[in-house]
Amino acid sequence: MGTTLWQRTWRNVARNKAMYVMVIPGLLYLLVNNYLPMLGLVIAFKDVDFAKGIWHSDWIGFKNFEYLFKTSDAWLITRNTLGYNAVFIVVNFAFSIAIAIFLNEITSKFFSRFYQSVLLLPYLISMIIVSYLVFALLSQDTGMMNHTILPLFGIKEISWYNEPVYWPFILVIVNLWKNAGFLCVVFLAAIIGIDKEYYEAATLDGASKWKQIRLITIPLISPVIVMMLLLFIGRIFYADFGLFFQVPMESGPIMNATNVIDTYVYRGLMQIGDIGMSAAAGCYQSIVGFVLVLLSNYVVRKINKDQALF
Amino acid sequence: MNKFKRHVSGLSLVLALLMVLTACGGGSKGGEEASGTQASGGESANSGDTPEIVMPFFVLNGIPEDMQAVNDEINKITKEKIGATVKLMPISYGTYGQQTNLMLTGNEQVDLMVVGTWFNYTTQVAKNQLLPLDDLLAQYGQDIVKTLGDNYISAGKVKGKTYGVATMRDLADMYGLVIPKDVLDKYQIKTEDIKTFDDVGNLLATIKKNEPDSTPLVPFGPGDSLLDNYMTYDNLGDKLGVLPGDATDLKVVDWFEQPEYADLLNKIRSWYEAGFIMKDAATNRDSGLELMKAGRGDVLLTRIKPGYAEQESRLIGKPVVTIPLTQPQARTSSVANMMWGIPRNAKYPDKAMQMLNLMFTDKDVANLLAWGIEGKHYVVKSDGVAGYPDGVDQNNSKYNLNQGWMFGNQFLTYVWEGDSPDLWKQLQAFNDSAVPSKALGFTFDQTPVKTEVAAVQNVLNQYKMALEWGTVDPAKVLPEFRKKLKDAGIDKIIAEKQKQLDEWAASK
Repeated sequence: MGTTLWQRTWRNVARNKAMYVMVIPGLLYLLVNNYLPMLGLVIAFKDVDFAKGIWHSDWIGFKNFEYLFKTSDAWLITRNTLGYNAVFIVVNFAFSIAIAIFLNEITSKFFSRFYQSVLLLPYLISMIIVSYLVFALLSQDTGMMNHTILPLFGIKEISWYNEPVYWPFILVIVNLWKNAGFLCVVFLAAIIGIDKEYYEAATLDGASKWKQIRLITIPLISPVIVMMLLLFIGRIFYADFGLFFQVPMESGPIMNATNVIDTYVYRGLMQIGDIGMSAAAGCYQSIVGFVLVLLSNYVVRKINKDQALF
Repeated sequence: MNKFKRHVSGLSLVLALLMVLTACGGGSKGGEEASGTQASGGESANSGDTPEIVMPFFVLNGIPEDMQAVNDEINKITKEKIGATVKLMPISYGTYGQQTNLMLTGNEQVDLMVVGTWFNYTTQVAKNQLLPLDDLLAQYGQDIVKTLGDNYISAGKVKGKTYGVATMRDLADMYGLVIPKDVLDKYQIKTEDIKTFDDVGNLLATIKKNEPDSTPLVPFGPGDSLLDNYMTYDNLGDKLGVLPGDATDLKVVDWFEQPEYADLLNKIRSWYEAGFIMKDAATNRDSGLELMKAGRGDVLLTRIKPGYAEQESRLIGKPVVTIPLTQPQARTSSVANMMWGIPRNAKYPDKAMQMLNLMFTDKDVANLLAWGIEGKHYVVKSDGVAGYPDGVDQNNSKYNLNQGWMFGNQFLTYVWEGDSPDLWKQLQAFNDSAVPSKALGFTFDQTPVKTEVAAVQNVLNQYKMALEWGTVDPAKVLPEFRKKLKDAGIDKIIAEKQKQLDEWAASK
């Protein structure tokens, strides 16, 4: 009664002082690290001249963006970036949810931990090292595929780094191998949090394992799945630079299958080193990511209001 | 409640970890500052207002342990001769471009630094990050101009103004092949018999015939195509529009459209198909010298100079010889790839130029930078060459920078043991014998066509390595390559280059 919104807010703050104080470092971090640099976006629209300083440099409109859309590659890199990331999301989610469910069924604590660690290990390996692991498999002069595995099946040597057709598969597999472990841990944590009573009740009612998974586990972890999904969709226009740059070893003939926006920008600007153009690429990526998050959140909201992020 | 407690304990663990991390960060920063004040001369107490020149440069093999000791010795000289101290700031090669870029955009004090086309020199000039040096050179840098000569000074000019000063080193471009001496002896091949690209093919064929399992030709380094190390033309900075080697006028041509280019590609393709070339050449990530050392191949093409064979023999561990395939040519790119510049952020531009001049004239400073402290890091042997003192070698030396070519006049430094004692004379003769390109002194500013350059770079990345290592068939791929270059706007770049070149010629 009689209390205004302001008073209520104040009372809330007073009551939860400790909590709000704990939020401050995080907020500051976000502000300094994520929001302040946004001012730098003006660079994308300027012809930077250090004699005049960034703020007083000339405005040049969208000229810095032109190179992104100029050639037929524009379509190619957009398709590759979005396509690969979409496939990565579907494949990685499917596999890691499945693995998480399997892991949860393992009763031996030792093995459960052991498998978790083994799965997580690739996530901790640097992409440069991964690229050499792949190279050790696929190299023409010394690779294991061409010299040990393929001869077993009587298949002729394949020039992996020159044949674009194989690369969508190679990249998806490498990405899955590297990242599934991490996602799996997230989902496993969610599954472990499910109350055991549901399963006990289901078993009493004679529900099969498969039914339990389909009707209990998945619905109960779906908020986590949706949240992770939205987070990943926000990054869908950012390609994993290490994966697309290091693993294909800069090989030209396969570039139609491996070039994504990040590698395109890097290669194009390596020589010029123009900060305006790189800022333009970053700006473009963030805007597409932002729009996609809004869109997918809107769709989630339509389907199930409780699971939307905002 | 229990759950909540668990969350809180998890959170506090994360917080604790974060604090540890930030503490570490803070600690190392403190360390940096400490070393910074140390670098500003232990003597700063008694000479609070001696200007300090901040001087970043790149190092190829890690930062020497005794950098600071050498820095202190140099300060003793500079304080007396130019009334300033220097703060040497070694940065590893891989991060140099990025780190100096941050320093320049972040408005930090940088007085004298290594610039050059390796590190986006023309962009720095176009963005006004470097100061024009002409007045400073006239006032404090007379000895530099005298040492380098007008031709080589002109290579640092952009639109009539000097923004970079090269060092006195090997300033001309010459390409040739490196091959172990025992291979030549084994097949009784005389170095005089190898003069052209075709001769190289014959040589490779001979080796392959006798060792059918070998792939004799290896790349010089990661990202280098075979033709990157066999340039018969002036690349005018970026290969996007070149001046042919026998050019009599200033007509920029598209190298990739030349019949000569197609011809070379066909040869390379036939080499590849005959098994002369390492199959992974186009995706190679190893240095060619390492490959040679490991016995993966015997021949590589690279940029050579007097003394190169001795240098590489030491690295490979067996004697190699170099055989020139092109005439030495002086081009802007061979000079401007590594220069010294004074950024707009400089606090003491005058002192910086004096320091640069000192590196060109003072034998002690030059030797300190190149070899370290006499008696400690090197000694002068009886025949006037420098070598390690007793008990010191390449592996335990605390100052093995070995980058004499980077600081001022290399010819002032001692020749190292194992090199020919008259190496500097040979290098001087090499520089003098070089035919200057018609466009020596012209620097192309890419900024007016940067959109096209970015697009063309991507096309080059896609096709160049595979074509120039013979991994793909030029009959099929070259037309595609040419078409994509056109689509990406190479003609516009060439037209702009021609325009700038004509303006440059008119202003000369």
